[in-house]
Amino acid sequence: MKKVLIIDDAAFMRLAIRTALEKSGFQVAGEAANGMEGIQKFIELKPDIVTLDITMPEMSGLEALKAIIKFDANAKVVMVSAMGQEAMVRDAIMNGAKSFIVKPFKEEQVIKALNQILEM
Amino acid sequence: MSDQYSNEPMLDMFVFETTQLIEQLEQIILTNEKGSCFTPSAINEIFRIMHTIKGSSAMMMFTDISVLSHTMEDLFYYLREEKPNYIDCSKLSDFLLEGVDYIKGEIDKIKSGDDTANNPSELIKTLKEFLVTLKTENNSIALNKVNSPVKKPQYYIRQEKSITTIYNNIYKAIIYFEEGCEMENIRAYTIIHNLKDITDDYYFLPEDIIDNDNSAEVIRQQGFQIYFKADHAYDSMHEFFMQTIFLRELDLIQLENDNEYKHLYEKKQSNIDSINILQNNPIKIPEIHNMNNAGMDKEKQASVTTQSIISVSIPKLDKLMDLVGEMVIAEAMVIQNPDLKGLEINNFQKAARQLNKITNEIQDLVMSIRMVPLSATFFKMHRILRDMCKKLGKEVELEIIGEETEVDKNIIEHISDPLMHLVRNAIDHGIETTEDRVSMDKSKTGTVTIEARNAGSDVLVIIKDDGRGLDRDKILNKARKSGLLYKREEEMSDKEIYNLILLPGFSTKEVVSEYSGRGVGMDVVSKNIETIGGSISVDSVTNKGTTITLKIPLTLAIIDGMNIKVGKSCYTIPTISIKESFSPKEKDLILDPDGNEMIMVRGKCYSILRLHKLYKVSTHITKFTDGIIIMVEQEEKTLCIFADELLGQQQVVVKALPEYIQKLKRVRGLSGCTLLGDGRISLILDVAGLINI
Repeated sequence: MKKVLIIDDAAFMRLAIRTALEKSGFQVAGEAANGMEGIQKFIELKPDIVTLDITMPEMSGLEALKAIIKFDANAKVVMVSAMGQEAMVRDAIMNGAKSFIVKPFKEEQVIKALNQILEM
Repeated sequence: MSDQYSNEPMLDMFVFETTQLIEQLEQIILTNEKGSCFTPSAINEIFRIMHTIKGSSAMMMFTDISVLSHTMEDLFYYLREEKPNYIDCSKLSDFLLEGVDYIKGEIDKIKSGDDTANNPSELIKTLKEFLVTLKTENNSIALNKVNSPVKKPQYYIRQEKSITTIYNNIYKAIIYFEEGCEMENIRAYTIIHNLKDITDDYYFLPEDIIDNDNSAEVIRQQGFQIYFKADHAYDSMHEFFMQTIFLRELDLIQLENDNEYKHLYEKKQSNIDSINILQNNPIKIPEIHNMNNAGMDKEKQASVTTQSIISVSIPKLDKLMDLVGEMVIAEAMVIQNPDLKGLEINNFQKAARQLNKITNEIQDLVMSIRMVPLSATFFKMHRILRDMCKKLGKEVELEIIGEETEVDKNIIEHISDPLMHLVRNAIDHGIETTEDRVSMDKSKTGTVTIEARNAGSDVLVIIKDDGRGLDRDKILNKARKSGLLYKREEEMSDKEIYNLILLPGFSTKEVVSEYSGRGVGMDVVSKNIETIGGSISVDSVTNKGTTITLKIPLTLAIIDGMNIKVGKSCYTIPTISIKESFSPKEKDLILDPDGNEMIMVRGKCYSILRLHKLYKVSTHITKFTDGIIIMVEQEEKTLCIFADELLGQQQVVVKALPEYIQKLKRVRGLSGCTLLGDGRISLILDVAGLINI
């Protein structure tokens, strides 16, 4: 089973992603509610893949991403973004995010994106 | 609602989180309104809250909420990014609160399963107009103030793009993304970003995927076209593109010559350059110290992994509470089992004590889990105050003391409405208009204070205003007319007179308009408080203000009680109200001139209540000297209750009385019932009720 780390400040979003993932046989290794916690969990849980919300208080998703990539250049990070945040998503891609999903998303989109990235 | 997420936990979580966020938002709005205007951090916070609500509601397909929160998010995005100088804060707060109310209303509907949609389009329109005005106003100000040139994005243009490598193969790829994957232009950018590892000689259409987000639409319609030269073979290039996430269709062709390519070549520079500019931006990486060591520090690691708080649904907690209640009863049934009477069972007693200790601990723990601070309930009053002050044109300040005091979750639900009612009354009827206050030499701004503090097993909630106070004469008149005077007027203390307003039938809705004192449905408030075993008292000083004190039990569920026996019936008196119990001596008993039975205790006289008479129970113990007297006290009033004998002290689980006893029969002086260890039912006496009989 592939281990996923979900980083999102909204509990609802974490649950939405978790629900989708668990239905499809992923193992949610952990959840983090902000960037700093996300980085710590990443280091400690060594997930196969991370879903990372772009807008978070204190430390944004982008900063968290940079830190994660600095720690592990091959980290597989999928950004989770809302519409209208194109610029931030682009920055994320430039900084090593593998792809992104756009809210509101369908369950199968999440699964598909994650599966494909894991196959890379 | 979306089918995929219609499952309960998701909906619950949505409702839970959105409610929390909305409450948070309301508080931010109210605190900031008091200051001059929204602080940057508040603006950022509101932006984030709206952003989160937008996302979740869109997932749950609550389009109205999502559109509204999106509009608000846009507004705050503008405020955050542009930091306009001129903002009509009061208007902004009004709009925001309107939005808050709308979302609250919708959430309530979602909770109750009500499908009727309430269209927020009016509000959305107003918000959008507000944003437009904001923009124009601030633009003109900005133009007048500074004559600075408009900043345009400046691109670094390279002299010449030198392609150092000569590639063998020329390709053309047309890529279509899956429908609904969104932000196609950024997805296209992702491909280009990855392609850079393979070649630096490429060109793509549409060109403006970076600067123009509308290019997403073009890609949706016409696909994303890339022309590039590379050394890689067709297969490996095909594989490269196939890795694209959300790829629907790939059309990869190896071109024979570079005619088509050359044709496009001239236009190429700017694109590549702009990408390079982005590329060359220094990337700041947050310095996270000791991050790499974290993995080695096991202890630290453990503290990070343990989740310190989880949310549990309330029905589960209620169930747990019920079960613990049943367990307490079952425990009593075992330990006080009649079969055990007279047996020498030391080991059993030892085990029983152990069991008792553990049940008590569990019970305390469950209680503490259910304890919630009053702060949320108290802070709600800020909003009521604000709205009422705006409407009535009064200046009132709200002071909150002791909001960290905790009470049982169920109790919070019961006192929220009464509290709201009392605060409304205080502002509406208690606090005078600003002019009146000034003419009376009072401070211009009125103050309403809400205070909570612990008092034994009760919590006192005090609502105090510095308004005009209650009108003693008017209350007396009204009570006389309604026939509510239970004593002779001359004998009544001021406090007793003020407390008349709590009696049912003292005021009706019609009275509100003509009666300028207080008393709007005070009997309802009083009833509400009584249903949770609390009591209410009123005190007032003319022109100084009114104080209303609610005395509320910490918890409803389990109390320490003294079981007593009258005839064949059992009663339970809450231990907290008992002062003492004793067998009276003949010489202490006296009769007052009206023939009421009294007892003299240490020089003071107390009236005696015969329970067997009150509840018409037949017993052969009718002489005081044969039975026992239990002295109880509530709110500085004392009463002696006469019963046959004491059965013993026990923790009892309070169960509500059946409807027909409570409502139809209106039996006075009972607050509930409970099961005793031997399976008998015991009625729990309501001491305050008995004293006032």
